[in-house]
Amino acid sequence: MRRAARMVMTAAAAAMVAGVGFSTGAVAAYPDQPITYYIPFGPGGESDVTARFQQPFFKQKFGQDFIITYKPGGGGAVGWSQLNKMKGDGYTIMGTNIPHIIIQPEQSQIGYQTDDLVNVYFFHFTPDAIVVKDDSQFKTLKDLVDYAKANPGKVTFGGSGKGSANHLAQIMFDEAAGIKSTYVAFGGTGPSVTALLGGQTMAQWGYTTVPKQFERTRLLAVAMDQRHPGFPDVPTFKELGYEMSGGTYRGIAVPKSASEETRKKLADMIEAINKDPAFIKKMLDGGFAMLDVKYGKSMDDFMAKMKTIYIKAAKEAALVK
Amino acid sequence: MARKRDTAGMVVCSLFILLGGAALWDTTRMLDRDSYVYPRAVAVLMIVFCLMYIGRQLLLPPKELTESLEAQTAQRGGSTPRRVGLVVTLFACALAMPYVGFLIAGSAAFAVMLLIAMYDPWTRFRIVVYPLVSAALVLGFYFLFKSAFLVPLPTAPFL
Amino acid sequence: MSFEFMWAALSPENFLLALGGVVAGTVIGALPGLTATMAIAVLVPFTFSMPTAAALILMGAIYTGAIYGGAYSAILLNTPGTPSAIATTFEGYPMAKRGDGDLAITVACLASVIGGMVGALFLLGLAPPLAEVALEFGPTEYFWLAMFGLTLIASLSEGNTLKGLIGACFGLLIACIGVAEISSDVRFTFGSNVMIGGIETVSALIGLYCVPVLIDLVATPDRHLKVTHETRGFRLGEATSILSRRWVNAVRSSVIGTIVGILPGAGGSIASLVAYSEARRTAPAGNKFGDGDPDGIIASEGANNATVGGGLIPTLVLGIPGTPTDAVILGALLVQGVRTGPNLFTEGGGSIVYTFMAGLFIATALMLPAGLLIGRYAYKSIITIPKALLVPSVAFMCVIGTYAIRNSTSDIAIMVVLGVIGWILNRFGFTPSPIVLGLILSRIAENGFVQGWIIGEATGNPLTGFFARPISFVLILVILLSLFYPMLKPRLVRRLARQEGRS
Repeated sequence: MRRAARMVMTAAAAAMVAGVGFSTGAVAAYPDQPITYYIPFGPGGESDVTARFQQPFFKQKFGQDFIITYKPGGGGAVGWSQLNKMKGDGYTIMGTNIPHIIIQPEQSQIGYQTDDLVNVYFFHFTPDAIVVKDDSQFKTLKDLVDYAKANPGKVTFGGSGKGSANHLAQIMFDEAAGIKSTYVAFGGTGPSVTALLGGQTMAQWGYTTVPKQFERTRLLAVAMDQRHPGFPDVPTFKELGYEMSGGTYRGIAVPKSASEETRKKLADMIEAINKDPAFIKKMLDGGFAMLDVKYGKSMDDFMAKMKTIYIKAAKEAALVK
Repeated sequence: MARKRDTAGMVVCSLFILLGGAALWDTTRMLDRDSYVYPRAVAVLMIVFCLMYIGRQLLLPPKELTESLEAQTAQRGGSTPRRVGLVVTLFACALAMPYVGFLIAGSAAFAVMLLIAMYDPWTRFRIVVYPLVSAALVLGFYFLFKSAFLVPLPTAPFL
Repeated sequence: MSFEFMWAALSPENFLLALGGVVAGTVIGALPGLTATMAIAVLVPFTFSMPTAAALILMGAIYTGAIYGGAYSAILLNTPGTPSAIATTFEGYPMAKRGDGDLAITVACLASVIGGMVGALFLLGLAPPLAEVALEFGPTEYFWLAMFGLTLIASLSEGNTLKGLIGACFGLLIACIGVAEISSDVRFTFGSNVMIGGIETVSALIGLYCVPVLIDLVATPDRHLKVTHETRGFRLGEATSILSRRWVNAVRSSVIGTIVGILPGAGGSIASLVAYSEARRTAPAGNKFGDGDPDGIIASEGANNATVGGGLIPTLVLGIPGTPTDAVILGALLVQGVRTGPNLFTEGGGSIVYTFMAGLFIATALMLPAGLLIGRYAYKSIITIPKALLVPSVAFMCVIGTYAIRNSTSDIAIMVVLGVIGWILNRFGFTPSPIVLGLILSRIAENGFVQGWIIGEATGNPLTGFFARPISFVLILVILLSLFYPMLKPRLVRRLARQEGRS
């Protein structure tokens, strides 16, 4: 009975896969059971929310569920250090974050190396942005830079823990603008926004997602090549003369033992979700920015580029040796 | 209760001092002030409190041992082999789980613990009913977590 | 708000969802290791295909039920089913030991309903202004809040404060194991990868509270709990009269729970600990605190259920989750496309939120019959199951629950090791409660201290930040009061007695 039901489902899934235009080869049945999607953090963060965004689209396109499972600890390191011990049958995937997976192994013996992780797709990023309270004295980025130049060290930026994209952005911007500011690390975006709203810190190195989620916040500038469609009035750092573009990049990785076939197939599926206009709209409305880096040469190039940028910044901050 | 010095307490305090020392030593390799200030402060406090306790026991005249109710309610006596057996079973279950999977490790541990906790004679009724109830409990929890809460319980690599 | 929202919440489907949610939540909360956060996270994909209000009602009902359910295992097994129920073990387990487990459960149920109602009332009536409280608490205030939590050691380890302090330091220290939240440094792992994730609170609770009970349970053929009487039903009358005598405590604890619930990063465990220590401090002479006083249960359960409503205040007004469970609810709202903010509470934009809050009231009210019935069943099964089945069942629950928190087998091993350490330390007079207190408060204390210091350095003098801010100042006063009040109390009583003798 169970088996019959499963066969029907498999057939349906296969039909659906064929329907969206995938080659129906020997592994056409994949996926024929739910996929466990590990988030190496607790619930409620950006990694969780974007996985939740993907969940219904995956179900709709490929007929199977994403089972979102949390494996928090060590700022993600617990999950990533165990990924390669998991089954590489394509039914276990895990979210990965840059710069975390680049900085952590450089900092200490943490149980994995950056190159151990098989990333199949980077599907979005949250661009760095300077966030202030809506009634802040800083109306523009220039106000903030002028204040910081007049009062070295007095501008306090909240943000996630040390070595996070927020922290590295603060280091890079201090250098680009020739200012000295104080970085106050918090346990995540939520606590650092709370401190910003409570007036404990003057500004925050956050993401473009912050004003979409939290009341009473606005952006001074965003670290993107072009303005974010959700914030047409907020300038980019580049427009204002600072070479800043980046943020936290989020992707999906599989255990090393996954076959080449599985890796490609999975990348194709994530790409299909990423190209869906309804998905894109949902992501942009949430303040996220789309990204398409697929398994293969483009992935290798992307990782190499990211490594150069972030390790340089981390060295300048004496975060790594 | 006898009037005597709390020797065991002093031994435990000495162990805590060693632990505090190890913690302090580990903080010496940390470069960032934010990482070491707090644990150092706590470790130093712990060592100071331990030294105070030992000092008080050695210097002040021994007084009646007063222990909190929580400690008093902890049972004294009883079967040590059974206690050790339970702990060893639980620990072995944790270690074996990644290799044999949750169901095997869990059921084996359940059975062993049932034997350890068995004080009543094995009547014919119990021989039939206990294994049945155990199986129902183990499988019930297994499927509750696996299917209802979608927890990826470890599976044996060979299954 | 108008009554139409109440009607929407009372639709048969929503009513059934609230009832089902409360029952499921209570069972989930009672199982150590299964938390409301996990249950709601599992539920999120199902809510995509539900109307938003119905999904919210279901989540709220599960949440409320789970916070109450934690009391069962706290009372009957000395193991908090959820961290919020830690303080319930202090008086609940001694009560169960002496044969009053049924009374303890009924008291817990009544107190939870009161707490839940008070929290929901604040959410309904005063959410936007109260959300500002969350913002007034900066790093230094969190530091002092943690210090205030630690003063509870003084009353928890009466007669041996030094041992309590040593235990607390041990807890504070082992909480540092793993990757530090602020500096991202790896601490105290001594090169091992097992400990990189640190010690997870729930597995530590299970280890320190439940494993010692199991170890002693298996050592003797005695019954787990004393049964001194034939079943007396719910003992509802007795419980009601206790509550009507101690209503001040119930209300005060619920208010404390609401306010601590509003603070993001504090949560139910701290709320119930603070309420417990206040109840203990202000208890009338001749109280049985430490030996099974129902007042302690009223405080703890009233406070932790009030955090449900309290925690939703910053979640819905500011988008800042008050507790981890609120973070999941907020995530589900985001996916559903509901924009949080003060306008949710104004007429027009807020129908969903008001239906949700009405649902929360209904769920809290339903907790009374559901909780009493499930509680009676839980009590009966714990006292009637033969030991040979009770021990492996509870141990099995501990193992699977510990695993499920982070899907980690290492956590099971850590849980067992902590259990053995806790059992040994307890034999030598180092009780587990100060250790647990340290473990829970460590991160708040450290983050508050380090952040407060850095901000202070940037803006001038770090010390002014710690001592000269109004809330910090009040907290310091409260800390001093709770430290020295026990010393002053006997003197005050004596002086009063002398004056009375003279007059």
